[in-house]
Amino acid sequence: MAEAALPGARLERRDALLGLALIAPTVLVLGAVIVYPLLSAIYLSLFSLYTPTLEGHWVGLANYRAVFGSGGFWSALATTAVWTVGTLTLQVLFGLAMALLLHQNILFRSLARSLVLFPYFLSTVVAVLVWRWLFNDLYGVVNHALMAAGIIDAPVSWLGTMPNAMLSIIVVGAWKFFPFVVIAILARLQTIPEALYEAARIDGAGPVSRFFDITLPQLRDVLTIVILLRTVWDFKEFDLIYLMTGGGPVNGTRTLPLIVYQQAFGLNQMGLAAAHAVAMMLVMLVFMLAYLRRAGGRVA
Amino acid sequence: MVASEVLRARFVAALQFGGKFRGRHAHNIKGVGLADRAEPGRLALNAPATRRTALRLLAGAGAAAGLGLTAGCASDDGRRTLRWWSPQAAPDQVKMYRAQIAAFEAGNPGVRVVFEPTSDEGYPAQLAAAFAAKQVPNLVTHLPSFTAQNYYARGLLEPVDDVARAIGEQRFFPGANDIYRTGDGTLCAVGIGNTAVDMFWYRKDLLQKAGLSAPPATWDELREACRRMQGGGVYGAALPYGMNGMTSLIFIGFIHRAGGQVFSPDLEVAIDSPATYDALEFFKSMREYCPAGASNFSWGESLTAFVSGATATGIYGGRVLANVAAQNPGIAGAISCTTYPTMSREIPAWTFNDFPCLFIPKGAPHLAETKAFAASLFAPPLYIDQLHAAPGHVLPTLQTIAADPAYLANPLIARYPAEIDLMTRTAAAGHNLGQETAKHRPNLKASEIISSNTIAELVQRVVLDGEAPRPAVAATAARLRELMRG
Repeated sequence: MAEAALPGARLERRDALLGLALIAPTVLVLGAVIVYPLLSAIYLSLFSLYTPTLEGHWVGLANYRAVFGSGGFWSALATTAVWTVGTLTLQVLFGLAMALLLHQNILFRSLARSLVLFPYFLSTVVAVLVWRWLFNDLYGVVNHALMAAGIIDAPVSWLGTMPNAMLSIIVVGAWKFFPFVVIAILARLQTIPEALYEAARIDGAGPVSRFFDITLPQLRDVLTIVILLRTVWDFKEFDLIYLMTGGGPVNGTRTLPLIVYQQAFGLNQMGLAAAHAVAMMLVMLVFMLAYLRRAGGRVA
Repeated sequence: MVASEVLRARFVAALQFGGKFRGRHAHNIKGVGLADRAEPGRLALNAPATRRTALRLLAGAGAAAGLGLTAGCASDDGRRTLRWWSPQAAPDQVKMYRAQIAAFEAGNPGVRVVFEPTSDEGYPAQLAAAFAAKQVPNLVTHLPSFTAQNYYARGLLEPVDDVARAIGEQRFFPGANDIYRTGDGTLCAVGIGNTAVDMFWYRKDLLQKAGLSAPPATWDELREACRRMQGGGVYGAALPYGMNGMTSLIFIGFIHRAGGQVFSPDLEVAIDSPATYDALEFFKSMREYCPAGASNFSWGESLTAFVSGATATGIYGGRVLANVAAQNPGIAGAISCTTYPTMSREIPAWTFNDFPCLFIPKGAPHLAETKAFAASLFAPPLYIDQLHAAPGHVLPTLQTIAADPAYLANPLIARYPAEIDLMTRTAAAGHNLGQETAKHRPNLKASEIISSNTIAELVQRVVLDGEAPRPAVAATAARLRELMRG
């Protein structure tokens, strides 16, 4: 009752203050977890630093010259691109196929929709342990199954030779992350008006035509966002690759995040690691801008 | 009433209000007028709710919960906490550590010790992060000697001479702690054990079946033995070819077994030598006798390959004994070990001992309690129990323990006396990249060199990718020089 008597200006000021108070924690948290580390990384990249003590000296852009002047960065960038494109393609294909399947009236649909999320929720460490066991040449199921089927004569080293190692991590990455694609596409599928399909059926469109003429165009927006997000996430994937192959054989699966980790904690060169990270961020910025443009376009 | 209590009270009130909000006033969520609101600044539990009021309450609840969590982190039972890290964290070992912790806590009621496992491949990153964040553990054990020297040179470790004195310097084997002696004459660590990491393990039954009466002593003999023993699902050897620390550490041994060295005694890069080419050629020739997965082998896989019976020979420390006893007792009577063959009989054996040590990071709180706890880890009978948790793997550095009947009474140690004795002797005479021979100066970059995988990469380039050895070795030498400069 008392608030009703407040003058309008005072009420607006109170509302504005409340709004600021409510948004302040978010701004502070985002500043602490995004802006501060970002600025720190840029700052650190201008120094030669020993990681455990973070002591060192100013080197300016020398770290960037070292990064861009070394073949290691470009080789790792190419490896990262191969991994990202490979695993993303499989994720989208698996995810789309699974989402379409789970959109049908199949038996135990609810159970299947729950189970499909399992890889996504599983800890990467646990998943990698399981997959390393599956790929093991001495007692792994994959080799045994292939030998039993007569496809191979002797056990294959899935993680120790190229291109097997890259193919293996691409498959495991797709298995681990395709549920995200399923969730996003399934949600969108459920909002496509049934009338569109009915009209198409009346016009004589078959299942393939209905998929390409109705479903796929309707999924375009969500697929674009999913691909952009997953590109960024796959590009900076570290734990799965590190635990599966450690970047080997030789440098066959050494992606940029693995280089950053090795520079920072293996070689204790935090400045150089930060320069690698900033360079990596610049590459990802392209994807982020595309995402922001897309997201902005959708809002508009 | 302090601020946090006020906020907690509001939080409780908010919860109570929430109950009413969900029930009786749920229909007021939308479209409620100002006239229906409570007075500002008051919690009117019986008043209709508005979105703004609910947001205020949520904000208050969030703050109260945050403060509550903070308060929860700060509160404990008042004891001083010591954190202990070790990569030697097999279940049996952790069980014994806990017994040692319990004994220390019983004698020091004001202290609590928390054991936190790390790993051989993961500790550099974890320690680097801990030092950088100034959240170091109080005590670190079972890391290689060169790690301690490296950190001490950077001013990151406490001298532990008084810990050695508290344990009893005369109880150690003569010279056991020399490898931890720093340039300023202090001890940066003390040895908590010895490990002969790269022993040559073999199956006597398979050797006999192959018509061989003695284990191979040279590389040629080893190749021939592997050729004869390989077959029927059993491979000849379990050498590592992975991109990891094991491959680097093990291959360094082979350079020495060819008569070479990675660095000269004054730490000039000396890897570009005929011995390295010979070692690479040997490693390449052995690839066909190792499982396909050896290209990705690290410690665990290499150990399991031999223990499971998949390979006729293995390369590992004494942990083989306990693992065979537990996982494959059928071959327990057939296994034995010796030093790994060398290129020729004229070249003496070279054993890799990582000299597992104990050190105290600088900056950790409760230094006096930490040192007391560190010394307590060497006190029998629990130190013996700790060694018995991995019999033959972590060998005693205290001569008083090595000769103790209680230590020798362990069933595995009693069953393999010749192997234990050999491992004890060779480990004591062993070396690692931190000090390749007795003539070498301590290499303070050894840790970074291993972490860089430079040597493992050399092995992979030549053996797996088939690159010509000379340019690959030259590139490795250049990279080592760069690492030494950095």
